[in-house]
Amino acid sequence: MRVYLRYAFKETFTNLWRNRMMTVAAVLTVAVSLSLVGSALLLKQSAAQASAQWQQGTRVTVWMQPNASSSEIDSVKTQLASMPIVKDCQYFTQAQDYQQAKTLLPADEWSVLTPSATPSSFRCIPTVPTDAFTVQSTFTNQPGVYQVTAPEQQIRQMNHAIRILQIVFLALAAVLLLSATVLILNTIRMAIFSRRREVSVMKLVGATNWFIRVPFITEGFIEGLLGSAVAILAVTALHTWYPLHNEFALNTSALLGTNTVVLVVGVVIGSVGSSIAIRRFLDV
Amino acid sequence: MIRFENVSKTYKNGTPALRNVTLDIEKGEFIFLVGASGSGKTTFLRLLLREETPDAGRILEAGRDIGELPKWRVPYLRRNIGCVFQDFRLLPNKSVFENVAFALEVIGRPRSTVESQVPQILELVGLTDKSKNLPHELSGGEQQRVAVARAFVNRPLILLADEPTGNLDPANSESIMALLERINRTGTTVVMATHDKALVDRMRRRVVELDRGEIVRDQVRGVYGIDEGVAI
Repeated sequence: MRVYLRYAFKETFTNLWRNRMMTVAAVLTVAVSLSLVGSALLLKQSAAQASAQWQQGTRVTVWMQPNASSSEIDSVKTQLASMPIVKDCQYFTQAQDYQQAKTLLPADEWSVLTPSATPSSFRCIPTVPTDAFTVQSTFTNQPGVYQVTAPEQQIRQMNHAIRILQIVFLALAAVLLLSATVLILNTIRMAIFSRRREVSVMKLVGATNWFIRVPFITEGFIEGLLGSAVAILAVTALHTWYPLHNEFALNTSALLGTNTVVLVVGVVIGSVGSSIAIRRFLDV
Repeated sequence: MIRFENVSKTYKNGTPALRNVTLDIEKGEFIFLVGASGSGKTTFLRLLLREETPDAGRILEAGRDIGELPKWRVPYLRRNIGCVFQDFRLLPNKSVFENVAFALEVIGRPRSTVESQVPQILELVGLTDKSKNLPHELSGGEQQRVAVARAFVNRPLILLADEPTGNLDPANSESIMALLERINRTGTTVVMATHDKALVDRMRRRVVELDRGEIVRDQVRGVYGIDEGVAI
């Protein structure tokens, strides 16, 4: 056993060194494709997180007529409080809304506004973002209600865009993984091909298939490992230095998860690719 | 030692390679397989190595039906069979010593065995002083002696030789034959396929002649064959 381990170790590194150009090519291929895969996964997580944040921030605003009576305001208030789909509501008085308008609107617009002409409003957060629409349809045209606004359309569009983005990222990742596997398979196949004489002599003198197979599988494994190590550096660099907008910024555990996926995938495609490559040559 | 029972083999393209061959080879025998190209000599050897399996009949080696052998046992079968070929099949980037040692290393023999066995076998084939040379620095005859050393270093029960003198001049052929005889005297069964008429005639060993896959002659102290140019 010890003899064999030494043999397999020596063979693996001799192979890697002897075919060093192919080794470098395989490692770089794995590195590039896994970097893209890792970045895609990271971006997908960012997008998902940002989408969740936007949805949490969804508000529906019930604007009252500036001249609405206090009973009308109370009626709306009671209704809102009794609705289970509304998580939280805040009442903004006409004065408060006027102050806010002052900060939001250009000077020439708010200067024509007076506190008594400003609508008061209920700023509500729905339990589920898409419930904003229900709130909107309930209160529109109720007495004293001027208008109900919800960023419904924007949410829908944003969700749709993010979903498409996720699909594109995942499809890209899948294609790149496939190409990485095929490239490793090819590299190992070339390594075996360049050593087919030795393999045939080994079979002739009675070396077992596992004996022949293991150094090549280790070779693929190491190429996958090195490639994913480079990819992990690239993904970490992207995570650390790329100036992402607040809502997209991910925490360390998301990075760690992505890097684990990159490592496992690299090692697996290295080993599996080389196993497939060698199968044909061992067929007696 | 080796027993062929009604063995037939047809390749996928439809050409029959062996037809109903029955043959017994005793332990320690030296046997020549002769016959024209395509008569089935190589198929015979490939069947012994289980590089092929027979379509019909069975092949027994040391009492075991090798057709029944599970695939994973095949390497262990081959450890008992040494092989020499016309084209030597040495590894060009390994020295003489390493080429011979390779055969022991890849079947998991410890280094101590390699270090004691390889010099011994190199002495037997008379190449002790060339053990550090690479194959391309050797003559054809020397290369074939390395190949014989590699085939025999594991002390197999059977030695198969497929036209071992096919690429050699008469003097080198002679030294290879002397070597095979010497190996045969240690009790190893030698099966040699050849076209070399002069060699077979001089050796006076058992000759089995194949013709289009069938055994047409089996002589205990035979010659290569009747010269077709001579009118009877």
